[in-house]
Amino acid sequence: MGSVRAEFLKLKRSLSWAVVVLLPLMAVITGAANTVVSGGRLEDGWHTLWLRVVIFYGLFPLAIGVAALASLVWRVEHHGGNWNALMGRHVSSLHVVIGKVAVLAVLAAAMQTVLVVGVVVVGKLVFALPGVLPAPYFLVSVVIVLACLPVAALQSGLSMLMRSFAAPVAVALLGAIGGVVLLMTRLEVLAVVVPYGLLGRATQLGTGMFVDSGTVTTGAVAAVVVAALSLTAVVVAGTAAILDRLDIR
Amino acid sequence: MVGHGGPVAEMITTHDLGKTYGGRAVVEGLDLRVPKGCVYGFLGPNGSGKSTTMKMLLSLVRPTTGEIRIMGRPMRRSTRRELLGHIGSLIESPPAYGHLTGRENMRLVQRLLELNDDQVVRAVHTVRLHDHLDKRVRDYSLGMKQRLGIAMALAREPRLLILDEPTNGLDPAGIDEIRRLLKQLADGGITVMVSSHLLDEIDRTATVLGILGNGRMLFQGTRDQLLARSTPDVLIDTPEPQRAAALTAQWHPTRVDGEAVRLSGLDHKGTAGVVSRLVRDGIDIYGVRRDAQSLEDVFMDLTGGRGL
Ligand SMILES: Nc1ncnc2c1ncn2[C@@H]1O[C@H](COP(=O)(O)OP(=O)(O)OP(=O)(O)O)[C@@H](O)[C@H]1O
Ligand SMILES: [Mg+2]
Repeated sequence: MGSVRAEFLKLKRSLSWAVVVLLPLMAVITGAANTVVSGGRLEDGWHTLWLRVVIFYGLFPLAIGVAALASLVWRVEHHGGNWNALMGRHVSSLHVVIGKVAVLAVLAAAMQTVLVVGVVVVGKLVFALPGVLPAPYFLVSVVIVLACLPVAALQSGLSMLMRSFAAPVAVALLGAIGGVVLLMTRLEVLAVVVPYGLLGRATQLGTGMFVDSGTVTTGAVAAVVVAALSLTAVVVAGTAAILDRLDIR
Repeated sequence: MVGHGGPVAEMITTHDLGKTYGGRAVVEGLDLRVPKGCVYGFLGPNGSGKSTTMKMLLSLVRPTTGEIRIMGRPMRRSTRRELLGHIGSLIESPPAYGHLTGRENMRLVQRLLELNDDQVVRAVHTVRLHDHLDKRVRDYSLGMKQRLGIAMALAREPRLLILDEPTNGLDPAGIDEIRRLLKQLADGGITVMVSSHLLDEIDRTATVLGILGNGRMLFQGTRDQLLARSTPDVLIDTPEPQRAAALTAQWHPTRVDGEAVRLSGLDHKGTAGVVSRLVRDGIDIYGVRRDAQSLEDVFMDLTGGRGL
């Protein structure tokens, strides 16, 4: 698909890469620093380290990071005559929307990769943990990337409609707070159909926090994956339908 | 007119095209006729609705009323994609991504529209940008941005090119270059619709003119038709211009112009009447003549002086 390949060209020299590297590193460093300050003990080895890094990361920073990335990939379109050029070609609205979400998916995957590598490096070098990160967390990482998709699609839609960089990010912050509230009140079914709640839920897989059981179960993974894929499809289709009716200013 | 089953002579036709924003009609009752292979000069003062019209032609903006046909086919949101494949456009300000170089921007268009290398190279050469491709677009001059925008529009080898004020911000040499480029494209069989608020800029290139004022079509036709439409002022040379003017001002718009009296909107019969009246009042007349009128005057007349 030409429109997706074209989107990736726009990432060259983009500020997005700074977000992709700095945000997860910040989470890793914060998690590690907390541990060192509180005596440097990881009671349960890799599991404790993962928990300290990923729980907070999944509550706010991740959603905000995805929102910032969505604002960044749309920002270039709001300049000069780019909107007119984008829609003045024979590329369909659906392809325009999919192109952006595809780019965001790759950026989210890169962000998760930085997080995992960061956790492994800190675990080995700072805490001298035995072995490597247990396998389930690699699976959880894939699920987290999938759970980023509905948020990415929703934020992409908001950034498409709003020229502002900050406003969609503020929406993500409110969404993340709402997601936390849903998870704290143990309304799992509701949390999973709200993109921000789903993202929080995915990062808690296997941690035993909030609604999680503490082990990575097939049922929990399947629920998150199915919800992520269906939500993404719905949001993408909705955004494309809106774009198709939109007057370009 | 559309012949029965024959080829369509018009590239673009619209019927009663209109757009309303917040209860205000910014374009109204537009019947455009852009013949195939012409350079159509779309003129109008700032805010007259040129960009809005062009956006409707590209289906970037949905019309409130009326319909559009391009190459004989209806242009709507549902049909826009197949038609846009034949149209190159540059609306309002030039596109392009400032953080990328000219070459990267062209590659982007190439990927998006699945073009071959030759098409891209030719487009870049046509606008003579080949020496500036490795600079970031944010460091381009406005003229270079405009030319890159045109190259991006040309690369797909369109049959119709819609350019909104492509000479905006260019120096005289740049304007001249665009003018020659449009002529060259039209000679190659491409229909070009180009807008401007400066008649002077497209006067010599355009074969058909459309003049817009307050969202309405004030005139559409050739240059000669436009000139023929208006009546030039009558100048009466007399040693007593003040006394003569005081007299004629009772019936016609009059102005003293040096040693002459200038009367507007006078036909032949009116002229004869004025002359015989002045003679009867004992005013000497040395000569009566029609003023030479430029296209610019006509344009000013039409747009109520807001034009240029
Ligand atoms: N999206 C919009 N919402 C509200 N009003 C609009 C919108 N777009 C254009 N207008 C109004 O419509 C009118 C025509 O605007 P348009 O941009 O089409 O004029 P133009 O002839 O291209 O002017 P210029 O020579 O300055 O480019 C203006 O009064 C403008 O304020
Ligand atoms: Mg305009």
